[in-house]
Amino acid sequence: MLLRIDPTSAEPLFAQLAAQVRASVARGDLTPGTRLPAARDLAAALEINLHTVLRAYQDLRDEGLIELRRGRGAVVSEHAALDYAPLRAALAEVVRTSRSLGLAPETTTALLKDAFTEEPTR
Amino acid sequence: MTAPTTTPATARTVPHRTATTVLALAVPLVLTAVTVVVALSWRGDLPDPVAVHWGVDGPDGAGSAAGFVWSSAITAAILAVGGWALAFFSGHAATTRRLGAGFSLGFAGFMSALVLGTLGVQRGVPDWTQAPSVDGVVLLTVLAGVLLAALGAALTPGDVRAPTTARVPDDAARLPLGADERAGWVQHIRSRGVLVVAPVVLVPVVLVAVILKAPTVLVPAVLVLTLLVASMASFTVTVDGRGLSVRSGLGWPRQVVPLDEVVRAEVVHVRPFHDFGGWGYRVGRGGRVGIVVRTGEGLLVERTGGRSLVVTVDDAATAAALLNTLADRSRVA
Repeated sequence: MLLRIDPTSAEPLFAQLAAQVRASVARGDLTPGTRLPAARDLAAALEINLHTVLRAYQDLRDEGLIELRRGRGAVVSEHAALDYAPLRAALAEVVRTSRSLGLAPETTTALLKDAFTEEPTR
Repeated sequence: MTAPTTTPATARTVPHRTATTVLALAVPLVLTAVTVVVALSWRGDLPDPVAVHWGVDGPDGAGSAAGFVWSSAITAAILAVGGWALAFFSGHAATTRRLGAGFSLGFAGFMSALVLGTLGVQRGVPDWTQAPSVDGVVLLTVLAGVLLAALGAALTPGDVRAPTTARVPDDAARLPLGADERAGWVQHIRSRGVLVVAPVVLVPVVLVAVILKAPTVLVPAVLVLTLLVASMASFTVTVDGRGLSVRSGLGWPRQVVPLDEVVRAEVVHVRPFHDFGGWGYRVGRGGRVGIVVRTGEGLLVERTGGRSLVVTVDDAATAAALLNTLADRSRVA
């Protein structure tokens, strides 16, 4: 898979990596059972610290998106892709409503972030 | 092997032709000639005819010593010319030259050990039916072939660094990449075919060896085959700021194309048998190097010095676009 980082961005590198894996899983580009690059290979490819990649993988594992197995590396978990279809539908609805109200995308994403902080349980 | 396929002309001449001619032609032919002279000089000590074939219970086929010597020598010479021609005319890449030299020398070593071994054990034997067992000779023959092939490959001069500053052609695919962004593409290839082929190849070898009660041949043959099969079973393909790397799970085979040697990368449809004569780590038409584990989508990288490399890998379009983009970026800077 293709992964990119922008060292000049304010977002931490591990968060940039994790976000791309999340997005790929959500889009269905990464299917359950797919092996992610070995942390060592990815760190070397992007010229970043191994621990940065491991941090991203650990976050993804804590979210249940991937499984880390000794010897097999990081694998997209079986249930990772299950619940995204209703979410995508709901998001499409959010986008449609936001457009019909003439809101800027930034306003909508700000509202979305607010909604998460109001309900902090994950 | 046909003429090299289209590649942008950056130093199209095949390098190291003298070394190729010495290793893949002169040495094998001299070795074969010496074998002929030595073997024929033994004729007074040999039974007439000599045993040339062995079954489970000892020798079961006989022929004239001269016929055996000459037919083996001619076979070795023809194979040497074939290996030399591949390396001489299509050996843009070191891998191709190594294959040619290894093939020529390996078969010359194999034939020489076969002729000298089978005739050597029959010196002083009054009749071919009393020829001793050749188990040891078979092992020696295989070892001589493998060792000389490895020697030929090892002595073949490698590729000199051939960086280019020319931009990647505009019609080659690119990928949007910010000036500050770093990108890496990593993909695993697992050969399902190998897992099917392995038992199909290995089981008969073991069965035949057990039936023929030839454990001396069995052990090295199974070891070598198992290693070969295992080395082709999985690869990691990486495109990043260093270039392209294709690495077997075992560490070998391995192909690396530094970014500054990338002429262009593109997606191709690979037909293993048609393009490379089979599956695995191969040299195909025009000396093109291939890591080919299945039919279908593959990444073709044209490299400086008229070299090219094909890897069958999913998502090759992304890999090609990224490699072109990174190659270009390294040359502008």
